[in-house]
Amino acid sequence: MPVLREIIDVVTMRSDRPVRRLVAYYAIVAVVVAILAYFFPGEIARIAAKGLGDVPEGPTVLTDALASSPTASVSFGPGTLLDVTLTTVLILIGALVLILPVTWVYMSARPSGGQHNQNVVQTLIILPMVVAGIVFIVQNSLALAFSLAGVVGAVRFRTTLRDSRDLVYIFLSSVVGFAAGVQSLAVGAVISVVFNFVLIITWHYDYGRNMLMPTAAAQWSRPLQALASPTGDHQIPDRDLVLSLTPENAAALADRFKRVQKAVGSKKKKPRFDSILTITTDAVPEAQGRIEEVLERMTKRWSLDEIVTNVGKPSEIYYLMRTKKTIPRDVLLTAIHENAAGFIATVDLETSAPVEKKKKDEKNDGVTA
Amino acid sequence: MTGRRGIVLLLCAMPGVAACRDTPKARAAELQKIAAARKQDLALRLATVDANSDKAMPLAMWIMPAQLREISGLALTSRGTVLTHDDNSGRVSEIDPKTGILVKSFSLVGNQKEDFEAIAIAGNDIYLMASDGKLFRFREGSDGQQVQFILFDTGLRKQCEFESLTYEADSTRLVMACKRILDKQAPKDLVIYRMPLPLNRATFTLLHVPLQQVVGSNKWKGFRPSDMTIDPFTRNYVIIASHEKGLLVLTPDGDVVRSEPLPGDHQQPEGVAITRDSILLISDEANVKPAAITLYKWREQ
Repeated sequence: MPVLREIIDVVTMRSDRPVRRLVAYYAIVAVVVAILAYFFPGEIARIAAKGLGDVPEGPTVLTDALASSPTASVSFGPGTLLDVTLTTVLILIGALVLILPVTWVYMSARPSGGQHNQNVVQTLIILPMVVAGIVFIVQNSLALAFSLAGVVGAVRFRTTLRDSRDLVYIFLSSVVGFAAGVQSLAVGAVISVVFNFVLIITWHYDYGRNMLMPTAAAQWSRPLQALASPTGDHQIPDRDLVLSLTPENAAALADRFKRVQKAVGSKKKKPRFDSILTITTDAVPEAQGRIEEVLERMTKRWSLDEIVTNVGKPSEIYYLMRTKKTIPRDVLLTAIHENAAGFIATVDLETSAPVEKKKKDEKNDGVTA
Repeated sequence: MTGRRGIVLLLCAMPGVAACRDTPKARAAELQKIAAARKQDLALRLATVDANSDKAMPLAMWIMPAQLREISGLALTSRGTVLTHDDNSGRVSEIDPKTGILVKSFSLVGNQKEDFEAIAIAGNDIYLMASDGKLFRFREGSDGQQVQFILFDTGLRKQCEFESLTYEADSTRLVMACKRILDKQAPKDLVIYRMPLPLNRATFTLLHVPLQQVVGSNKWKGFRPSDMTIDPFTRNYVIIASHEKGLLVLTPDGDVVRSEPLPGDHQQPEGVAITRDSILLISDEANVKPAAITLYKWREQ
């Protein structure tokens, strides 16, 4: 693996961009397959496109049952022990070669803050080889297929996957296994390539994000506010959110609570900050300088909360700040856009003001009633 | 090409590289050697059978590979080989019956799945027949090729279940014997459909042979043809029945020449062909025994 990584590094000029690395990997695989196909065209056609037809089998010498010493059927195409073994090894290697980049994409293209499941990664690698082996054995035999159904029926798989996207990877893994098993790795290769690139692109552009859905920062603002409540009502943060946290997430969240609480101040005091500014950018240092100029001018106070550096997609910068009443939200955002034009991708400001206003409204409604 | 040859030579210089002996040239030489030895064996056995005048003595029995486990029809090519196929898939294999070498296999495009029961060769066209009377017409393909086909529905699915098909070159027509008459009111005769080429439903003709004449002195309760062929010497129809393990010889006019048990011991005979050098071929589906093609000396009485 280090050798492969080194080759990919050389081809991609040590780029960390997933698309470049994927292209480099597939290019290397394509070159290797082309070389092998040149020297061993029959063998490569047999594992890559046998299921699609047009693959010569070669003559076979049939057994003569009347001969005094009947010889076993001699195949001059696939069918000899050596051929079967070689084909099996080749389809397993083929399945592995096609699924490896899928695992890389699985590990890299996670939603921000999300962590991959190591069990799923290992399953993704093993599953296609197992499926390929099964399909290769069962091929064209109804009796074997029924036997297999019986055996598999006895082994129950009841694993709940945390993320529904993991299921898609598992499906893909099975598809690659099937393609390898029916000796149609060409189909598996196309599926693997298209799947990986589509996934990388959708992840890169955060495709399908619901604009009405709160961002990760907004999701945290409520529990943060509850913990740092000036009135001291330590209400329990959103139950589902808390239950969905992994121990690692909870630790990170606790750490963040501590930092924010420190920044916000102790209870019964007016909060030091009332807004979170979220910036996404490909040029962190430049964007930071430009934004901080605006914040210095247009806010009462501000503090850099966190910089999340991403590979292959824009990095995120979070600021805690207290806005000036004289400067509306839109004016502030426009100023940031103008000052940091060309350096930032998106900017978002979440403020606790609406919540406070809502609380006041609810209080007034209660009095009226 | 030079680079490739260089690498191959380099590899072959290494001791123990078996792949070097597995070149196309070496394979062809090996095949020729086996074929020559087997032809010699067959000639010896033919001489023995001629001396013994034992009709039931097989000359050879070729065990079929897995893809021909449910071997069905047989059709003789002009090269002396036979085309055969599996019951479930539209995959045609060419076998040299005298050497027991499976020469090549090709299939219908899209890997057609039907209940294929018989095969016939008419000039350059090959016809594969499904049990419901559908005919797939195509040209011979090379090894591993998928060939295009034209489907012709005879429209006889409500009349009969079919398992036999042959080509009568003299009258350029396909001949199909009905295995099971589906019309319960119809008399239980042996019914043979004859279909002149090019196929047209309006030109089909029928031949009825009374069952009593077909059964003759045998103890059969009926006669359900599983394949048929044309005797290359007399032009008579030679029909075999899997259930009855029987053989029937009919003139094209429908007169029974003879009906008798099949030679040898057959589990499920599904195909029949007669070569121009008087060898009767019978294919058996795998049952208790493996699928096989058995060769006998064909003697017209």
